[in-house]
Amino acid sequence: MIKSNLSLDLEEIERTYLDNPLDFFKDKKLCLFKACLESYFPGVRYGIQDLLEELNLKVDECNNQSCCSGTFFQRNLITRAQFASINERNLYELNEQADFVLFSCNGCYNSLMRGRDFLKTHEVAKKTSEIFDRLKGTLTETNPDKYKILEEPRVRFIHDLDFLYLIRNDLLHSLKFDLKGLKVAVHYGCHYLNLSRDKRSFEPYLKDKTKLDDLIDLFGGIPVDYQEKESCCGWGASQVLINPKEALKITFNKLQSAEAVGADFLVTPCPTCLYTLSKPEYRDKMYKWYGKKLDIPTIHLNELIAILRGCEEERCITLRRKTPRLEEIFEIITTE
Amino acid sequence: MDEYSDSDWNWDFYKELVDDVEDNKNIIQCISCGKCVGDCPAAKISNFNIRKIIKKVLRGEKSVLRDSDIWFCYLCERCKRVCPKNNINIPLLIINLRNESFKQGFGPRYNDLRKYVEMSERFLTSGVVVEDPLGGPLSKERIDELNEICNFARIKYVFKASSSNQTKKKKKKKT
Repeated sequence: MIKSNLSLDLEEIERTYLDNPLDFFKDKKLCLFKACLESYFPGVRYGIQDLLEELNLKVDECNNQSCCSGTFFQRNLITRAQFASINERNLYELNEQADFVLFSCNGCYNSLMRGRDFLKTHEVAKKTSEIFDRLKGTLTETNPDKYKILEEPRVRFIHDLDFLYLIRNDLLHSLKFDLKGLKVAVHYGCHYLNLSRDKRSFEPYLKDKTKLDDLIDLFGGIPVDYQEKESCCGWGASQVLINPKEALKITFNKLQSAEAVGADFLVTPCPTCLYTLSKPEYRDKMYKWYGKKLDIPTIHLNELIAILRGCEEERCITLRRKTPRLEEIFEIITTE
Repeated sequence: MDEYSDSDWNWDFYKELVDDVEDNKNIIQCISCGKCVGDCPAAKISNFNIRKIIKKVLRGEKSVLRDSDIWFCYLCERCKRVCPKNNINIPLLIINLRNESFKQGFGPRYNDLRKYVEMSERFLTSGVVVEDPLGGPLSKERIDELNEICNFARIKYVFKASSSNQTKKKKKKKT
């Protein structure tokens, strides 16, 4: 029997480590799954890596891990078995390296879960095993364990937002600045809001998600309610490339809705959403197509934490795809 | 509300889809409540209507494979969450319909296919989809594995169309 839900049981940790959930992670090996889009937003990775190091946790980047391939599966360029094989190979490497894997991207987190989920189907599991048999026969790799489906992997997965919320007390102590009452529009992203694969019951799947709002509140900001809060960022598995006018209308509606309630900036726990919501080329197209220039800055949660921690090193605040006003927000937060 | 009789149903197409992806069997539970449409981002900006698509499938209307509508789905999984039935996996049905559409020679009109060619090329040559990834590219052994795993997949055909792969081939031919 293949164990499909490899997410960390957060409720169990909260029950067992009531006073300080961070203790659960002490002396355990953590690795950070490398999301491709972190290349555009290095602060997404270094923001959390530096925090974990300061909290004296054993953390490293995940080695020998490929792209999760979610974008190719969702565009019908690979089959379910090929997708499951790619993710199973990643899982083997992660299982060798760490006890827990943290994900900064909704898409990658979803892909690893989905790959395992597909293996519950006999036909996909059979085809995946056939792919692995072929790999054993054609490649020179001498370790056959790499090419089999793991029934009970030891490693567990956790989304950065869930992790940061879990250790929120320690996180709060590590911050040098607060949000000084800034109004913040929160965007969770579809594959965080609608994900069932990491849940153990229906209740947490169906109920409203509030962790990011709660964190903003703890940081001294005001999470604002806005009409399009739960709507998609517009990326929609590359809809921006297939139907750009329609896809960017969704992006436009979202950003406009956040601006309309006076949000100073928008925060998200997903670099793919960040890419769509912040890319200057998309902002220009939206201005051209829908006649309104939108300036609301956008930031990933990990980048925001880096700023709030007072990290001035280039690696923490290098926001290569920033929108213009982010500098202004940075000034407001870091001026004492 | 549509008026229809027993003779409107034709299970052939449905059976084909279930043969291909077993999870599709659950779409028969659809009660046409429309909650999925009400919460769908694609429905707000296009004619994408999952309730109608399911109905077409259950009536055996293969014309759905030619409709541009199926290419508007954002695969956001919102429909799965709001559906009062627990096991209807609409995003997977859409991916399955798109596969069938490809097989029959239809498919979407890409506004910018170049990006996908580039992404496919990077994935099969460096294991990531962006240039200059943090932490560098994957080892050669892992790249070989990815190429072997993706044998006969559409990604390979997209990769073959990439310009740098064509240049490499030409160079090889010359030498």
